Amino acid sequence: MTDYSPSRLPEPRIAASVATSTNNHLEIEAVTKNFGSQAVLKGVNLSVAQGGTTAIVGPSGSGKTTLLRLIAGFEHPDTGSIALNGSKVAGDGVWVPAHKRHVGYVAQDGALFPHLTVGQNISFGLDASSLPGRHRGIKARVSELLDMVSLDPAMAKRRPHELSGGQQQRVALARALAREPELMLLDEPFSALDAGLRVATRRAVGKVLKDAGVTTILVTHDQGEALSFADQVAVMRDGKLAQIGNPFIVYTRPADRATAEFLGDAVILDAWMEGSLATCSLGGIPVRRPPAQGRVQLMLRPEQIRIAEDGPIRGTVVDTDYFGPETTVRLKLNIPPVLAEGAVADHRYPGGGEVITIRHWNASITRPGTELCLRVVGEAVAFPMEDLAPE
Amino acid sequence: MTTKLAAPGTIGGTTTAGRGKRPRPPFGVSVVAILAVLIALFSLIPLGYVGVMTAATGWDTAIALIFRPRVGELLLNTVLLVVVTVPLCLVLGVGGAWLVERTHLKGRKWWAVLLAAPLAIPAFVNSYAWVSAVPSLAGLGSGVLIATLSYFPLVYIPAAATLSRLDPAIEQSAASLGLGAWRAFFRVVLPQLRIAMTGGALLVSLHLLAEYGAFAMIRFDTFTTAIMVQYRSTFNGTAGNMLASVLVFICLILLLMEVRSRGSARYARVGSGAQGRALRLPLHAYQLPAQLFLLALTALAFGLPLSFVLRWIIAGGPGIWTADEFLPALLQTLGYGLGGAAATTVVAFPMAYLAVRHPNWFSKALELSNYVTSSMPGIVVGLAFVTVSIRLVPGIYQTAGLLVAAYVLLFLPRALVNIRSGLSQAPKELDEAAQVLGKPPLMSFIRVTLRLTAPAAAGGAALVFLGIVNELTATLLLSPNGTRTLATEFWSKSSAIDYAGAAPYALLMILISAPMTYLLFQQSKKAAGQ
Amino acid sequence: MKIRTNALAGIALAATAALGLAACGSSATPAATGSASAGSTAAGEITVYNAQHEELTQEWVDAFTKETGIKVTVRNGEDPEMANQIIQEGAASPADVFLTENSPAIAQVENAGLFADVDKATVDQVPAAYRPSTNKWTGIAARSTVLVYNKSKLTEDKLPKSLLDLAKPEWKGKWAAAPTGADFQAIVSALLELKGEAATDEWLKSMKDNAKAYNGNSSAMKAVNAGEVDTALIYHYYYFGDQAKTGENSQNIGQYYFKSQDPGAFVSLSGGGVLKSSKNAAAAQAFLKFLTGKTGQEVLQKGTSYEYAIASDVPANDKLVPLKELQAPTVDPAKLNSAKVTELMTKAGLL
Repeated sequence: MTDYSPSRLPEPRIAASVATSTNNHLEIEAVTKNFGSQAVLKGVNLSVAQGGTTAIVGPSGSGKTTLLRLIAGFEHPDTGSIALNGSKVAGDGVWVPAHKRHVGYVAQDGALFPHLTVGQNISFGLDASSLPGRHRGIKARVSELLDMVSLDPAMAKRRPHELSGGQQQRVALARALAREPELMLLDEPFSALDAGLRVATRRAVGKVLKDAGVTTILVTHDQGEALSFADQVAVMRDGKLAQIGNPFIVYTRPADRATAEFLGDAVILDAWMEGSLATCSLGGIPVRRPPAQGRVQLMLRPEQIRIAEDGPIRGTVVDTDYFGPETTVRLKLNIPPVLAEGAVADHRYPGGGEVITIRHWNASITRPGTELCLRVVGEAVAFPMEDLAPE
Repeated sequence: MTTKLAAPGTIGGTTTAGRGKRPRPPFGVSVVAILAVLIALFSLIPLGYVGVMTAATGWDTAIALIFRPRVGELLLNTVLLVVVTVPLCLVLGVGGAWLVERTHLKGRKWWAVLLAAPLAIPAFVNSYAWVSAVPSLAGLGSGVLIATLSYFPLVYIPAAATLSRLDPAIEQSAASLGLGAWRAFFRVVLPQLRIAMTGGALLVSLHLLAEYGAFAMIRFDTFTTAIMVQYRSTFNGTAGNMLASVLVFICLILLLMEVRSRGSARYARVGSGAQGRALRLPLHAYQLPAQLFLLALTALAFGLPLSFVLRWIIAGGPGIWTADEFLPALLQTLGYGLGGAAATTVVAFPMAYLAVRHPNWFSKALELSNYVTSSMPGIVVGLAFVTVSIRLVPGIYQTAGLLVAAYVLLFLPRALVNIRSGLSQAPKELDEAAQVLGKPPLMSFIRVTLRLTAPAAAGGAALVFLGIVNELTATLLLSPNGTRTLATEFWSKSSAIDYAGAAPYALLMILISAPMTYLLFQQSKKAAGQ
Repeated sequence: MKIRTNALAGIALAATAALGLAACGSSATPAATGSASAGSTAAGEITVYNAQHEELTQEWVDAFTKETGIKVTVRNGEDPEMANQIIQEGAASPADVFLTENSPAIAQVENAGLFADVDKATVDQVPAAYRPSTNKWTGIAARSTVLVYNKSKLTEDKLPKSLLDLAKPEWKGKWAAAPTGADFQAIVSALLELKGEAATDEWLKSMKDNAKAYNGNSSAMKAVNAGEVDTALIYHYYYFGDQAKTGENSQNIGQYYFKSQDPGAFVSLSGGGVLKSSKNAAAAQAFLKFLTGKTGQEVLQKGTSYEYAIASDVPANDKLVPLKELQAPTVDPAKLNSAKVTELMTKAGLL
């Protein structure tokens, strides 16, 4: 299968030996994948540390599920390579099929075998001869696993269709955990659950995996889920990883506007950058590591813009959406005084009169027509203009 | 010959499990694809045979043999038969289904099964019973009578299944828009039955074209009986081949018509999930007439044939149960039925697999080629196989294998449709789940996909079995020396006017067919949503 | 639900098993029976392509197997079908012996050069009148053409003097036949041989209008008996066969023989021949010898076939009109042309 004659292919051996020197559990290098004429993955690089939790998040069709299926061994990469624990499993002429990769996999709908009981599902991947006591050993292990995912061991006798969605996902997790994989792949396992159950199940699953020290990769289109679940978030867009980093960094300092908007609500304003200070309709706002000078676009998270009696910025409420715990407020920003007085050259103060969206807990002070005072907290992120608008 | 369950409505309606993205065919699939292509090529033998034979005959001879008065007569007979019988079957089938599913008909649970029961009686047994009852039966009218009574369940079953699954909300909206019950039926319900009706009509037509025994017994000449006569006179002579090519042509036209009239209707599917109970019309004063109508219909279609078979059994006494003739025929029939069913299931699998797991133009074309072949009458398949095996592969001539191969071609759709619906219950995610749990691909395929498909495949196999038990024409042409099946023995005895001697064979065919018919009836209820 | 699922899985399993069994069975049969040999010189197993009546041949076969231990596999069919089949199969034909109801089909196989010479012992048993001069096959039985009529509708004096009279307009709708059967086609071949192509052609065309077509001679006689049609042109033994059973299909039937060397008085010879390609010629020849021997011919005399015995000095069944009284026309069976008959009948729209 593999041609490792040293004279012909010296590089892979070196590459492999280099890879072993890292501590990364998973190493994906320059992976591409086409389906027919459609390029689904356009060169993906990703490293996942031993025991870490990574969320691959992106809109549907971005290629994230395909990436997961490549890691699991359900698909072959067209080019590039994938290594687990430092040894290649795909690429460069190597191919390790799914059943030999020793990874766990939980699909969107759990993919429980409908013809088997819960217990039989969980023990499906177990080798009876490897367990003490054979049959009894299996039974004990199944109980243990059900307990681990907080299910009653008596459920082992039930059929999958007798379980709720959340229970099915836990059984699927227990089944995947049964073989004690070092790497667990979760393909949108919570998306089929309704809101309340989703959060609870996600927490429970996260805890189990963390306790077991299993390296985990979660694929999701839900940015909230990604940010809360993982200690590394990889944002996927259009077949590429747009940004990889810890959740806080990725959320507060997105690499580009699309990432910013995908990960959460964003207030985007035209601004003028000078040094590390951007001037815009919200006044002067500090920017860490500005990418450009002059005209830029400025990104703030809505929660950075607060209603404060002594705030220097004014805006008029256009309309509101009441959600209970908080209210989404659309505000039209007043033209800044500097600009209104016409004292300064226009080009340095682009914008004015923009409509932005912020959040507030108190609906009573945000009636349409009310003028509010605002204050900006923290730093903003600036994006160069050329990223955005064609001239 | 009872139920050629091609279920045309479901052909081409594929179910995709997966993620919108279609994976490149992985390991193993190319093997499956090659198998499927081979099967498709094999299935085109009859069509190719007719084409080659027509071409080889030469234009002038072909014209002389095709455009002669006898062909005109046959054409007229065949067309009249189809044109009269199909509407009658539609009226009886849909009417019966409507009474059972949509009215407060008393005893409707029983009627529901009884109306499907005539399918358990092979058409040629029905004909035999009718000729016993009314010896002077002959010609078009008798052909229509027997064919209608034999085949209306082919419309009834899908129509009843569709009606039982039809969301009553549709009728409720019609009512809210001011339509009365009758107008609602014609304007809203009937159009929903389009797939069931066109599919049923096609099935009935194909049966009419393919049936030999039932029409031969009442001296009604169709293309199939005429081809058989030519075969009896010339083996595989030119005149018979030309008749076969006209018959094939008619079949293809019918297929096209069905596709055209079905239109896009099959995409209007019934949503799954909870739905309200079906609306039922009170029958009031019509209760009695409805009961009498159904009583008459089932008495003629089921009661009469059964009672005449029993009459001959009683008249014949113990003398007709000659075990040394009877047992071999039973055993050989069971052997061919089971072997053919198994072979058909095995052959259908790659096709179904491609259609479900890798749906594209290619798998659709393969399926279509199969579908076309399966509309070919048994006599054409028989002729093609006899000729091809004698001339090209004498090694398989007159072997059981060749006969089984013909059965496979004739009944492939029954297996295909069932396995496909079974496979769609076994999405590839389950296969992958098994692999990622450490099972090698073959093992996971066996333990998951194959296991989950088994019930549906067995259901399809049962229907193939039913078809083989009642198959006459291809069996007559292709069976190895010394082979006697229930159908051929029945035919041989009833042709010699040994009606009493034929009765045990008729009874056995009915007894074997009955449970299969019930199974078919049950399955149709489940499959109606697809 | 679960039970049914398992039951279905069971069926599938059983089917697979049966397929295996069937495959074994087909190959095992010859081996198992090949060892069963009797004391005679011929042994083993032969395949007979039988276009004669199934019951008659079965009687012969049972008696033959009992006497010799040779197992006989019978494939049943119709005269022209099997003749053409043997010709197409050629040297690869699985048939060892071919038995027909009528001469044209067997003559066709002879003309294709597929028969071996009949053993002299067999030839010696059969009078020269009942075998072809070539001795490539032999007569094994004979049957006579007859016009059956409904006695309550017609009397014998109203019946036509000749077969050719049936073409006249006054017989329109009044006679029946089974034109698709080999029996009738044999009668036509005699007509063709005796009166020529043009006369036959014309007669067939008038028949298309005049005659009611039935699926077989039994059905035709049944129809006459029931009064559906006045007369039918069939062979003689259907009447006797039915009389020997319940008689319910022949109680109103009268038998009328044309005699006077009319084409309608044609006596058709059932033939038997051994294929050159036979892999067990000894057994095949033994079978033919048996058929024409005393035991075989006595099956005709004493059995329920009511066909005429012709060989080994065995007289016909005493219910039958003796062959000599039938005044049959002299026809050389080797000259009967079945292909031409089929062609003419197809042209006339009868096939």
